[in-house]
Amino acid sequence: MSTFNLPDLGEGLQDAEIVAWHVGEGDHVVADAPLVSVETEKAVVEVPSPRSGYIKRLLAATHDRVKVGAPIVEFEDEAHADTGTVVGDLAAKPPVSAPPPPTPAVAGPPPKASRTRTLASPAIRALAHERGIDLTGIAGTGPGGTITHADLDRAAAGPERATEPAAGPIVLTGIRRTMAINMAKAHAEVVPATLWDEADIGLWWTGHGDITVRLVRAIVVARAAVPILNSLYDGQAMALRTLEQVDLGIAVDFEGGLIVPVVRDAARWDATSLRAEIDRLKTSARARTVAPADLRDPTMTLSNYGMLAGRQAALVVVPPQVAIVGAGRIYQQAIPGAGTVAFTHVLPMSITFDHRVATGGEAGRFLRAMIDDLQQYN
Amino acid sequence: MTETTLVKAVNLALARAMTEDEHVIVLGEDVGKDGGVFRATDGLFARFGADRVRDTPLSEAVIGGISVGLALAGFRPVAEIQFSGFIYPLIDQIANHASRFRTRTQGHKTCPVVVRAPNGGGIHALEHHSESPEAMFAHIPGLRVIVPSSPRRAYGLLLAALRGPDPVVYLEPTRLYRAAHEEMEDDGKDLPVDRCFVLREGTDVTLVAWGAMVVEALKAASQWEAKGTSTEVIDVATLKPFDAETVINSVKKTGRCVIVQEAPLTGGFGGEIAARVAEGAFSSLLAPIVRVAGFDTVMPLPKLENLYLPDAARIGVALDRVLAYA
Repeated sequence: MSTFNLPDLGEGLQDAEIVAWHVGEGDHVVADAPLVSVETEKAVVEVPSPRSGYIKRLLAATHDRVKVGAPIVEFEDEAHADTGTVVGDLAAKPPVSAPPPPTPAVAGPPPKASRTRTLASPAIRALAHERGIDLTGIAGTGPGGTITHADLDRAAAGPERATEPAAGPIVLTGIRRTMAINMAKAHAEVVPATLWDEADIGLWWTGHGDITVRLVRAIVVARAAVPILNSLYDGQAMALRTLEQVDLGIAVDFEGGLIVPVVRDAARWDATSLRAEIDRLKTSARARTVAPADLRDPTMTLSNYGMLAGRQAALVVVPPQVAIVGAGRIYQQAIPGAGTVAFTHVLPMSITFDHRVATGGEAGRFLRAMIDDLQQYN
Repeated sequence: MTETTLVKAVNLALARAMTEDEHVIVLGEDVGKDGGVFRATDGLFARFGADRVRDTPLSEAVIGGISVGLALAGFRPVAEIQFSGFIYPLIDQIANHASRFRTRTQGHKTCPVVVRAPNGGGIHALEHHSESPEAMFAHIPGLRVIVPSSPRRAYGLLLAALRGPDPVVYLEPTRLYRAAHEEMEDDGKDLPVDRCFVLREGTDVTLVAWGAMVVEALKAASQWEAKGTSTEVIDVATLKPFDAETVINSVKKTGRCVIVQEAPLTGGFGGEIAARVAEGAFSSLLAPIVRVAGFDTVMPLPKLENLYLPDAARIGVALDRVLAYA
């Protein structure tokens, strides 16, 4: 018998949540094939199988939080398949099964419907079958989380109710939990102030154009003019470290929450390669496969919130960063001329900074430098 | 109609059968002049004489052997064992002979021995005097195993046993001998010995018991009725052949099943009932099938007896447990 322990996923993480098993008990798996997806505080990481062999038991269930180093899989010992001699060796959870993979794109064995961890009495299962209700995902309020008749009725009443436990609130996990922790920390620590302005981008904006790439360039230019906003600040030690290299966090919104991958050394990319890098980071962030290295240590953040809605927003500075730049929704503006009116497109912008570290003047000069750059044709 | 105790009902059934059929012979230790250890054969010696009411030596193996011989010779022996804890020496005659004659003779001959014994605890008795070995007999093919729980059922079921062609182990709940009494008539009517009896109809939970536990089950059902629970109570009465259909149909209606047995948990007949219910009413089950049973230990002496015996309170805990599954 051999077991496989949850490996250290880096970043000093203590534990991770099982998102999906890609194998089931009794399945054969080859080395390096996807074994399980786990969600750390920052991303969903696919853990490959360390070896080839038959899966004897899965030692953790979907949604379980597993400590790094804890056994998650027991492999069948192929040399002598006499399992009787080793059963019970491990103080483990009862065997659990492989739920269906999270997306059809993930390669894995077909889902085994009869081996889910849904808890329901035979009568409730029969009733659900009769009514065509899928019990998966219904939160049970009966003994030990068993789905009751009332739970079934609630699930049948509406799809929203089906996924919300009637018993009370859910505990945040994963990315949303990380966001909650970071935002609370920011709110407790940072003294934020926000400046708003707008850039006239009518020279180059024709209804389309790569706003994000231009914003990144403008930030790089502004940093050279006002270095202090690209700093990391340790509030406890009152220690400020101003950096030359801009590692720019790009806020990516997706249905799972907010994730901020980092464009490493924003100054080194030209427009084309920068766009490719941003696309790569967004895609992997939304697929929740972003590598820990791509999430590490931004020195400043850009939030292009205007993609959705909003002309102005006071954003949240996440320590130890000192500033976050926001870009709002572009709109057309009339400019009074000599007896005439001209129209142009303007990009609303904001910079929110930690006033413990930077002054309003510094922020203003930074924003001015950004605007000047953004207003250039090229 | 006369108010009759369970032991008196047994006595009435014996007398009725002896009157009807001169081949009925009562035998056992002190069953004659003494009228039996619990007076179940009281008056029979005087009424039917020493030829038909025989005191035997203190040897259960002999009582078993004589009974098998008598049955094969055309008699209908009714053997009394003083306590079911003394029944073991006789099991060889039951398991290896009485139960096998129908098969052994390809249906030509049966061996209609009736073995009666007081069964179970609750009378603060000595070791061996409070056993509940019914599951052992239920495991033997070719036997009927009957455990009555009221005077009327004791009367009707014993008459059926005495009139039928099969070997029967008839275990009388000792603690109910005088505690259970009801109005009944000595009308010679027997009851089916392949049926469970629904004593109380309900819709929320099925409570299955036999023997003295039926009384506790009824008590619990009444108490839980006050809490708004509708409990169906079934007296198994005949453990073998077991009328699973009645229990299964009940559980199909209620979705919940609690089984009460006085015998130790492991290997008890409650396990058999639970399995039948699981097989037959699977899709109706709202809750785990729960057994309330004695413990896996030797039946305790008087001081600890009440801690061992399942009672209405312990049944109530089980009811609450299964009712939590809504």
